[in-house]
Amino acid sequence: MITDMFGSFAPMMPMVIMIIGALVMPALYFITKSRRLLPAASLVVIAASAIMTFLMLEAGYTGTYGSLFTFDAFSGLMLLLFQTVVFLAVLISGSSIETTRMHVGAYYSLLLGATTGMMFVATASDLIAIFVGVEVVSISSYALVAMKRNDPRAAEAAVKYVIIGGLSTALTVYGISLLYGVTGSTNLMDIGAALATAQFSWAFVIAMITMIAGYGFKIAAVPFHMWAPDVYEGAATPVSLFLATGSKKMGLVVFFKIFLILFVVAQTAFATAEIQYVFAIIAAITMTVGNVVAITQTNIKRMLAYSSIAQAGYIMIVLAVMNEYALTGGLFHMFTHVFMKGGAFIVVAALINVGLGERISDYKGLAKRAPLIAFAMMLFLFSLAGIPPLAGFTSKFVLFSAAIYDPATGVMSQWVWLAFIAILNSAISLYYYTKVVKTMYIDKPKDDAEKIQIPKTFMAAMVLCLVFVIVLGVYPQLILDLCANAAAAFF
Amino acid sequence: MEVQIPLLTILLVLPFIGAIATLFMGGERAKSAKYVAGAFAGITALLSLLLFFANDLSFYDECYGWIDTAGLKMSFALGVDGLSMLMVFLTSVTVFLVILFSAAEKDRPNYFHTLILAMEVGLLGVYMAQDYFLFYIMWELTLVPMYFMISWYGGPRRHYAAIKFFIYTHVASLVMLIGIFALAFNAAAITGGGYLADFSFAAVAAASPLFGTTFQILVFGLLFFGFAVKMPIVPFHTWLPDAHVEAPTGGSVILAAVMLKMGSYGIIRVCLEVLPEGAVWWQPIVILIALLSIVYGAFACIAQTDLKKMVAFSSISHMGMVLLGIGCLSDAGVTFAIFQMFAHGLITTVLFMVCGLTGHNAGTREIPLLGGLAAKMPIYSAFMMFGFMASLGLPGLVGFWGEFGVIFSFYEYTVSIDMIWLIIFCLLSLLLTSGYYIWAMQRTLFGKETDKIDVAHVHDVSLSEGLALGVVCALIALFGLWPDLALGVIQTFSQGFISGVMI
Repeated sequence: MITDMFGSFAPMMPMVIMIIGALVMPALYFITKSRRLLPAASLVVIAASAIMTFLMLEAGYTGTYGSLFTFDAFSGLMLLLFQTVVFLAVLISGSSIETTRMHVGAYYSLLLGATTGMMFVATASDLIAIFVGVEVVSISSYALVAMKRNDPRAAEAAVKYVIIGGLSTALTVYGISLLYGVTGSTNLMDIGAALATAQFSWAFVIAMITMIAGYGFKIAAVPFHMWAPDVYEGAATPVSLFLATGSKKMGLVVFFKIFLILFVVAQTAFATAEIQYVFAIIAAITMTVGNVVAITQTNIKRMLAYSSIAQAGYIMIVLAVMNEYALTGGLFHMFTHVFMKGGAFIVVAALINVGLGERISDYKGLAKRAPLIAFAMMLFLFSLAGIPPLAGFTSKFVLFSAAIYDPATGVMSQWVWLAFIAILNSAISLYYYTKVVKTMYIDKPKDDAEKIQIPKTFMAAMVLCLVFVIVLGVYPQLILDLCANAAAAFF
Repeated sequence: MEVQIPLLTILLVLPFIGAIATLFMGGERAKSAKYVAGAFAGITALLSLLLFFANDLSFYDECYGWIDTAGLKMSFALGVDGLSMLMVFLTSVTVFLVILFSAAEKDRPNYFHTLILAMEVGLLGVYMAQDYFLFYIMWELTLVPMYFMISWYGGPRRHYAAIKFFIYTHVASLVMLIGIFALAFNAAAITGGGYLADFSFAAVAAASPLFGTTFQILVFGLLFFGFAVKMPIVPFHTWLPDAHVEAPTGGSVILAAVMLKMGSYGIIRVCLEVLPEGAVWWQPIVILIALLSIVYGAFACIAQTDLKKMVAFSSISHMGMVLLGIGCLSDAGVTFAIFQMFAHGLITTVLFMVCGLTGHNAGTREIPLLGGLAAKMPIYSAFMMFGFMASLGLPGLVGFWGEFGVIFSFYEYTVSIDMIWLIIFCLLSLLLTSGYYIWAMQRTLFGKETDKIDVAHVHDVSLSEGLALGVVCALIALFGLWPDLALGVIQTFSQGFISGVMI
């Protein structure tokens, strides 16, 4: 068994591989001065880390490192998710013109470093570990956004991102320290145990509020969302992909860890109902605002940013319902979201590469100029809207159904209204996704428009996403099984 | 041991292969796409004809495991019974005839046929599914091809109509989906088996006697809304006239003849079969909106100047008739509602084909601009008269039996609740229907030859169009003179149906 080789250090191995990769990249660039080698080397590192994770997951390995990190079915699955995200991002970075002006050594180092941070968060079982992981991701992301030089939009986005990120960090540290004051521990299970017998205190309420707000910025939950569209629009598209599909998932994992463990797993008796309502309301507002504002967007990256906000709102249903089945659906939707949103960003990046703009109207007649790309984009968008038999439908199917029926009591759940709002939101979202499809398929291209050829790596990444969007729709068991195991391990 | 041929899967797979094949027939080969599509649709139609005369339909039931994880159980289960058999037959025949009729389609004919065959997959899937998950997937699968059908091949306001159709019916499907969740989760909780949700028809049907009354009423409401929008029923009908007016002829035929039936099929299959107590509670409301649809549709027809829009509104009126039959909650009512679905499918095929020909061969569908077409287009006029007569319920044609049966069942119902005067609305609609059809016919076919359009270019039907129309008209006459052919199949399903579910 592969884990035996590393003894008690085994839970950390996927992260260690990634860190080594992050450190080696700049050196590799200084030695070889080759721009083409670095993405390939990064892919190898990511693949090694992913294979390691997969083997551990397959073997049913569980283990802890100190009291800070735990590897189990849940964290293993999340590691795979983050590895998939960074794999896609690196795959398209190699030939993207948006990243060519950057310092490539630093760029890949930061991407791998940020991924390591996400992986820390996924395995963390202590608030300190979560905090450190989140900060690693945040600081790397600020740099990644700012790296797109000579573009004032990127500079503006980075400044916004840093200021908002700093605010969010301050809030979370404040919340963590208050929680430590109330319970005397930073370990999640210990906090839960201490809270089970605790009395009501304002310190606890403030801790909860600051933590929801602080991490709410990370997942761009309304009303903490205003930075997201600017940042996604300003950053290089591979970075936008990384942030929208990776960084946001990390925020959700933080929410799962803190709130599901504190309130359900550790069976904190008091305040659970209140916190569920808070999340239900935030979820409802987030998905509605995201979808409604997305309708009026004319820039495709901004539209996708708002659609990401809405998708995070859907996944927050898990935090309202707070049971195992909902978590299964949430994890599954996080996975399908990587492929459909990732796929959409890949298409956008590929088209920017060949000189097409970011405005939706630039996509006129795309179906004639690039039939396969337009077809893929259509499937990604329909999948995001939840049209069967695509992946997005199946995952929404599981996720939304969790809000309708309560397996514990055997009757209709109290969250049926949330499911209604989510489902109406799906319908709203269909409108703006269909508008893009219409632009691509119905509108006529400009007279001088020629056929479009995109680099092979873009094509590979796009086809990869496309295959998963179709396969996970028709045969969801492929990942749904893993999600069910992960959710079972969590509770 | 006898090896069983998975006939139902083959019925689904054939048009699917056809759709993929035509999709890749770009460039020069696009011209021959119609032969490929016709071949696949033709074999499908022949197989369904074979199925139509099968002795024991349940012999063909199929069930394969599909998804079994996280407490969810979905299976790829197909089956036909007396209710779905007619719909499967109607779908496969209509699709084949549409392909025959559209042989002259010049604008990207390969994609046209891809869309038609893709729709056939979804439609057949809806009618054969024995699992709610599969049912819903197939239900939604019909939307996307129809969206493209309208927005690629449609009239001047096609973008508006296509998006309206897509979103309107998608919202309805989503509401229906909530109902399906409720059914599947509740069924699994009642029947046990260790699942969180069991989506098979069998599991839900087994649990349905134990569903509480309040649950049934709520879920009936959700599902009925989803189905009623599809039918469509006043006041959820506003997408239909737009979609029809803008859709190309082939799309309109499939939309009216087969796709609308998904709604009424769902009401019988799901709402009546598993939620009988909900049906009893909702019965007065169902009857009310059915009557509303019948009368409103008929009145709206009179006011239309566009021939196609008139036919679209007549669909609303006639689908109201179907709902009225269902609303009677009697064996006879359900039997004749199903027959009316079948009859309406055949008749609207003729009507929409004729409307398409009017627009194409005469240059406009505006009734005030037309006149005296009978002299220029004798064959066309004959088909139009035949279609109108069948639609207004002339005895001897298929429309008569549907309307007669439904009104007869409704009469029984009104007697039982002592409100016999309600029957007036049905008679009123019959009167109006005859009125608007004959008036429209007079204005377009007869009278003085019009001078408002360029009559020199007016030409009669082509061979393939005439052939398609001829086959449908023959079917209309056949089932009109020998209704038992269809009623026999229906009764294997509807005999004792209501008394069976009502307990």
